[in-house]
This record gives sequence, structure tokens and C-alpha cells, in this order.
Amino acid sequence: MVQTEYYVALSAILFALGGIGVLTRRSAIMLFLSIELMLNAANLAIIAYARQWSAVGAQHALDGQAAAFIVLAIAAAEVAVGLGILVAIFRNRVSTDVDELSEVRL
Amino acid sequence: MVAFIILAVLLVTAGVGVITLRQPVHAALSLVAGILALAAIYVTLEAHFLAAIQVIVYAGAVMVLFLFVIMLLNVGRTRAASLKWLKPAAWVTGALSLAAVVTVVFVVQQPLPEFAVIDAALRGGNADAVGDALFTDHLLSFHLVGVLLLVGIVGAVALVQQTVPARRTRQGVAQQEPQDAPELVAAGEGN
Repeated sequence: MVQTEYYVALSAILFALGGIGVLTRRSAIMLFLSIELMLNAANLAIIAYARQWSAVGAQHALDGQAAAFIVLAIAAAEVAVGLGILVAIFRNRVSTDVDELSEVRL
Repeated sequence: MVAFIILAVLLVTAGVGVITLRQPVHAALSLVAGILALAAIYVTLEAHFLAAIQVIVYAGAVMVLFLFVIMLLNVGRTRAASLKWLKPAAWVTGALSLAAVVTVVFVVQQPLPEFAVIDAALRGGNADAVGDALFTDHLLSFHLVGVLLLVGIVGAVALVQQTVPARRTRQGVAQQEPQDAPELVAAGEGN
């Protein structure tokens, strides 16, 4: 079996790629795609550590997979609301460029 | 190990595609490829239920929503970034954080337990095992996520719905003046 470290390294690669995407892309849709990549990377790390955690005992071995399931549900909710906001913004100003939304400030 | 390397190469290629491809539709399809590879990796990690959910929820529901919005908004190519240094700085930041995580992970290496131990503890990660954990130890989280999803649905509908009353009044006008009805209905559908 492949060691946990390789899975976590793969997860780190995916997370870094997602972060680079968030920083470099300017269309809000591409930002969302990059955030999805980062959420998937986090899920991969959680599930890899869930397998490692089973050495401690069967009592809480599946906690990691349950957490990954909840992260997945939250990602789905986030996409629904985020894309709704995106459509609402696009209606008012025909653009999804995040740099042009810079007046939305506190 | 061979399967892991193949899947990892597929996944990283898809990830690079997501952040470099210019067309949003191409990037979204690249993310679909990455999600499918990730589902296969979940199978190698004894998380069969999550692999199935990954394909159904992500590749099925979330990515369809993404493609739908991309095609609805018809977003074309974006201009180059206004800050010249941002792109190289982002790549350097990503490479540094990646190197840090990989170093830490491989310094504190821990031995993996025997397959029999893992199999007994995770029970194949099927729906029975994950459901057992979700409905006993994590019942509160499960309920909270249910409420969150409900709020998300209501919020998404409320955000997108705003034009419906306006369309209704237009149709009311159209009913009062039957001669202009086809044009107005067509205009309403155009929006």
C-alpha cells in the first residue's frame, strides 16, 4: 500500500495549484473552480489521514470519512450560493471580473 | 504504487489545466477529469462510499451547475492582470507552501498499519460504515449540514429569483393588449 505521506503530498500539490489559480485568475467563475480544487485537496488529506488513523483503533477510524462527507455537502451549498451571487452580479454589471468589483468594500 | 502514480499524474495534469486553460468551459471539463481521478484515488484509500458520492455530487451535480452558469453568463476570455508581478508572485507562493508541506510531511513519517487492521477499522468505507459514523457520533454535524443546505437552497433561489415579479407584470400587460402579446413574451424570454 502507498504510504500516507504521498497522498498528503499530492493533496498539497492540488491545494497549491488551487491557491495559484485563486491568485492569478480574474474571472469569478475561474476563482470558484480553483476553490473547488482546494476543497478537494483538503478532502483528500482528510481521507488519507482517516486511513492512517485506523492504527489507533476502530472506535473513531471513520470520523475522517464522515468529516469528508460533511465537507462535500458544504462545498455543494457554497457553489449554489456563490453561483447565485455571480448571476446576480452579472445582471447588474455585465462582467464577472473581480477587479472591476473593487468598490464592494467595507 | 503504479496505480497511485498514474492517478496522481492524471490529477495534477487536470489541476494544472484548471488554472491555466483560458476558456472557462475547458477549465470546468478539466476539473471534471480531476474529480473522476480523485474518486479513483478515494477507492485506493478504502473510501468507497465517498468515491461514489464524489462522482454523483461533484461530477454530476456541482459541475453541471458550473457549466450551466458558464453557458448562461457566456463569459469570454479575460484580460491580462493589471498587476504585473501578481502572477509570478502567486507561483512562487504556491511553490513555497507546497515545499513546506511536503517537507513537514516527510520529516515526521509514520508507518502505515497492516491492511487487516485498516480493513477492520474502516470496513471498506462503504455506506454502512460511513452512515454508522454519521448517524451516531456526528449526528449534530449531520443535522447542521442539513440546515446549511436548506439555507443554501433558499439563498440561491432568493438571489436569482428577483426578475420574476417584473416578468409577471409584463405578461399582465400582454394579456390586456392581446395584439402586442407575442413580442412582449419573446422579449421576456430574451432576458
